[in-house]
Amino acid sequence: MKVLMLTWEYPPFIVGGLGVACHGLFKALAEKGIKIYMILPTQEKVFFEIFSSWEADYPTAKKWDKKHFEPVPLKFYEFHYLEPKGAYLSPQLVSIIKKWEPPKLKTKILYEIPTEVLERLNFLLSQENSLISKVRTYTENVIEISKNLDFNLIHAHDWLTYTAGLFLKKFYRIPLVTHIHATEFDRALGFGHPIIHEIEYLGLNFSDRVIAVSKYTSNIIKEHYKVSGEKIKVVYNAFLPPLEKPQKFKKFREPVILFLGRLTIQKGPGIFLEFAKKIINTYGKKVRFLIAGAGEMERHLMLEAASLGMGTQIMFTGFLTRQEVESALSMSDIVVMPSPSEPFGLVALEAMSFGCALIVSKQSGVSEIIENAYKVDFWDVEKMVNIVIDLLENPDKLKESQEKAQEEVQKFRWSDRAEEVIGIYRELVFNKACFI
Amino acid sequence: MLYIIFYFQVHQPFRISKYKIFDIKDLVVYFDEELNKYIFNKVSERCYLPANNLFKELIEASDGRFKISFSITGTFIEQAKKYRPDVYESFLDLVKTGGVELLNETYYHSLSSIFDLNEFLEQVKEHEELIKREFGFIPTVFRNTELIYFDKLSDILLSLPQIKTVLIEGADKILKGESPLYPRISYNHAHLLLLKHYKLSDDIAFRFSDKAWDQYPLTAEKYVSWVKNLTLIEREGKNLYLNLFMDYETFGEHQWKESGIFEFIKRVIELLLKEKDIVFLLPSEVNYTLNYKPKTISVPEPTSWADIERDLSAWLSNSLQWNAMKTCYELLKKAKEKERKDLIPILKKLTTSDHFYYMCIKYFQDGDVHKYFSPYSSPEEVYRYYMNILSDIEEKLEE
Repeated sequence: MKVLMLTWEYPPFIVGGLGVACHGLFKALAEKGIKIYMILPTQEKVFFEIFSSWEADYPTAKKWDKKHFEPVPLKFYEFHYLEPKGAYLSPQLVSIIKKWEPPKLKTKILYEIPTEVLERLNFLLSQENSLISKVRTYTENVIEISKNLDFNLIHAHDWLTYTAGLFLKKFYRIPLVTHIHATEFDRALGFGHPIIHEIEYLGLNFSDRVIAVSKYTSNIIKEHYKVSGEKIKVVYNAFLPPLEKPQKFKKFREPVILFLGRLTIQKGPGIFLEFAKKIINTYGKKVRFLIAGAGEMERHLMLEAASLGMGTQIMFTGFLTRQEVESALSMSDIVVMPSPSEPFGLVALEAMSFGCALIVSKQSGVSEIIENAYKVDFWDVEKMVNIVIDLLENPDKLKESQEKAQEEVQKFRWSDRAEEVIGIYRELVFNKACFI
Repeated sequence: MLYIIFYFQVHQPFRISKYKIFDIKDLVVYFDEELNKYIFNKVSERCYLPANNLFKELIEASDGRFKISFSITGTFIEQAKKYRPDVYESFLDLVKTGGVELLNETYYHSLSSIFDLNEFLEQVKEHEELIKREFGFIPTVFRNTELIYFDKLSDILLSLPQIKTVLIEGADKILKGESPLYPRISYNHAHLLLLKHYKLSDDIAFRFSDKAWDQYPLTAEKYVSWVKNLTLIEREGKNLYLNLFMDYETFGEHQWKESGIFEFIKRVIELLLKEKDIVFLLPSEVNYTLNYKPKTISVPEPTSWADIERDLSAWLSNSLQWNAMKTCYELLKKAKEKERKDLIPILKKLTTSDHFYYMCIKYFQDGDVHKYFSPYSSPEEVYRYYMNILSDIEEKLEE
C-alpha cells in the first residue's frame, strides 16, 4: 500500500510534537511495509520517499522525475505557530458557518466533497496573511508534485495540510485520513483564528476517517466541530526509544525541576512559574528550576522570574536542539507539564524515558494512558507544590517514581500504533468505500 | 575667554561567550576571546590608530596649545596589551606629547557606585594604580562610568583626596535651563564639576553623518561658528568652559572614515586654534583659570550621558538587568570572603556596564542604539548566557 503523507514538520525541522510523532509513526509504518511519500513545506518542489526504517530516519528528497535532489539541506518556509497576524472575522464567513449543517452520512464512512467546499477553501486561502499564504503555496505545490506519484490513500497531519488533502481527495477520488495532533482551540486556549477553525472544521468533516491523538482531542472535535463520533478513531502517540540508553548527569547540587515545551499559553509556562515561586517561598531548601524552550511568552516569563531576585535559581535555556532537549532531561529530577490544553503531550513520555518523576495536567491526552505520573488539574498549583515537596523530602519515593516511569514508557510502542493505523488504511482502501 | 575641554572615553568590555546551560561544570571559557579580538582589531584599524595619529599630529603642530583628555578603562588596556600591543604603544606615545590628561574611573567601567561602594572604591583605586603604572600619571580628575553622577558620589569620593574635579552630564533636568558652560561646585562643596555640553558634543558624536538631520552636512566652518556664538552668552567677563565629551570610537567607528569625520575634526581644531578668545584646556586646569566662584548644584538622582533619559535606565530599567547585576555583586562579595583569587577578577569583569546595556529592552530610537552596540541577538539571549556563567561560578564558589 502506498500512502501520501502531508505534514508540516519532520525531523530535523521540528517546532513542536508534530514532527516527532510523524517520525515515530512513519518509521513504524515503513517497517510494516507501507510505502510512504511525504511532502513537506519546502521551497523546492520535492517529495520524500520513506520505504524503509532507515529512510524514515534519513528521508531523501526527490524531484518530480524521482531523481535525487541536490543540494541538501532544503530550505523550509519560515513558519511558526504564533497566532497569525491580521485575523478578522468577516460577516460573510460567520453567516456561512452558521448556515452549515454537518455533512450527512451517505453510507457509513462515505464523505463526498461538494465543489463549494473547495471554492470556500480557495477563498479562505486568499487572505493576506503570512502563514495562510504559505498554506496556499503548499497546497499548490502538493497538487503539482502529486501528479507524478502513485498512491492509494492520503494522510494529512493537522490543519496546515488539510486543504491540500481535500483537494487531492476530490481530484483523485481516493480516501483521505485527517490526523489531528492539536486543534486551534488548544493552541489559542479558546477561540483562535476563524480561518484556521474553518479549515479544521472542513478537513475533519470531509475526510473519510479522523485520527485523534487522544480521547481528550476526540471530545473537543466532536463538541466544537460536530465531527461524527463514528468516523473518529483514537490512536495515541508512542515513544521511540533512543539508540543509546538515556544517561543522567548532575549539573547542580540541588534537585532540578524542569518545564520543557514551547513558551506559549497552551503549554502553561506561566503556571510553572507560579509553582516555582510557591516552592521558593514555602520550601526551605534550594531547588533549581529550568524553563526550557522558546516562544512568544519568553520575555514576559523572564522578566517575571527575574523580578523575584532569586539569582540563578530559575533559569531559561532558550531554543533547544534535539540533543539539547535530551541533555535538559538528563540533568532533571522532576518534570512538570502543566498544559491547560494538551492534545497528547509527548514530553511526558520523553521525561519518563529519561527517568524523571512526572507531574502532568489532567487536561492532557497522555494522562489517559500513563499510570506512573501524578495527574493534577492544570490550575491546581497548590497540589503540584505539595507533590513535589513530598518527593523532595522522600528520596526513596522520588527514586521509585522515576524508575517506575522509566519502566512503563517502554510499553508505548509505535509498532502497535502503526498496526491500528494500518487497520484504518485497509478498511478504507479495500472497502473502496469512499467512492460514490 | 572660552575654554574648550575635550574628553574622550576609551573602553572595550570583555564580551561574554555564548555560554549554554549545558556548559555549566564543563566549560570555563566565559569570555568570547574570538569576538573580543575581532572587535578590538576592527576598532583599532578604524579608530584607535588613525585617531591617535591625528591627535598626536595636532598636538605637536600646535606647540602645546591643543590638548585633550582621555579616560581609558582597565579592560581596554588589558585587551590592548593582549591583542594589539601597537595600539597600546600608540597611546603611550600620545600621552608622552604632554598634551594629554588621563582621568580616573572604575577599572572595569562598572556600575559599582550604585551597587557596592566598597567595590567601587576598590575599582577606582585599581584604575588609579593602573594609570600610574602604565603611564606614570597621577590623575586628579574623576569621571564615573558613563558620567553617572549623584550628590552622594561626591561624598564617597572624599576618601580619594587627590580627586578635585569630576566630569558630569549637563542634563537638562539638573541645569533647569541654565548654561552648562559654567562649572559648578558639588552640593558638599568638595568637587568642581564640569558639565558636558550635550548639544555640541552629540552634534559630532551622534548626528554628524545623520542624513535626516536638518544641519546635515555639518562643515567645520558651521560648527566653529556655533562655538563662536557661545561667547555671546558670556556675561561680566566670566570665563566659559565648553565641555565636549564623547566616546573615542566616534572617530572612525561610530562615524565612519568615509563620512569625513577625521577631516572635519582636524579642520575644526585648526580653525579654533586661530581664534584669539578660544583656548584648549585640560580638565584639571579649569581650577586655575576660573575668574569667579562657581554656583553649587544639587543632583539628588543619578544622571548619566546615556539614552534620552540620561539616567540609569540604559543599564537598570528591567528585572533582567537588576537580577543579573545584583547576583553578580553578591557572588563577588562571596568570592572576596572566601578569598577566591581565581574567581574575583572574572566577577569583576562581569561588573562591566556593557553586559547590562545589552540586556536593555527599551524600544524606540534608544532600543535601536542598544541593538546596534550589542553583539547578541536579543536581551534575553545575553541574559541567559550571563546567568549561566554566574551559575557556574556559583557552583565553583561552593567547592
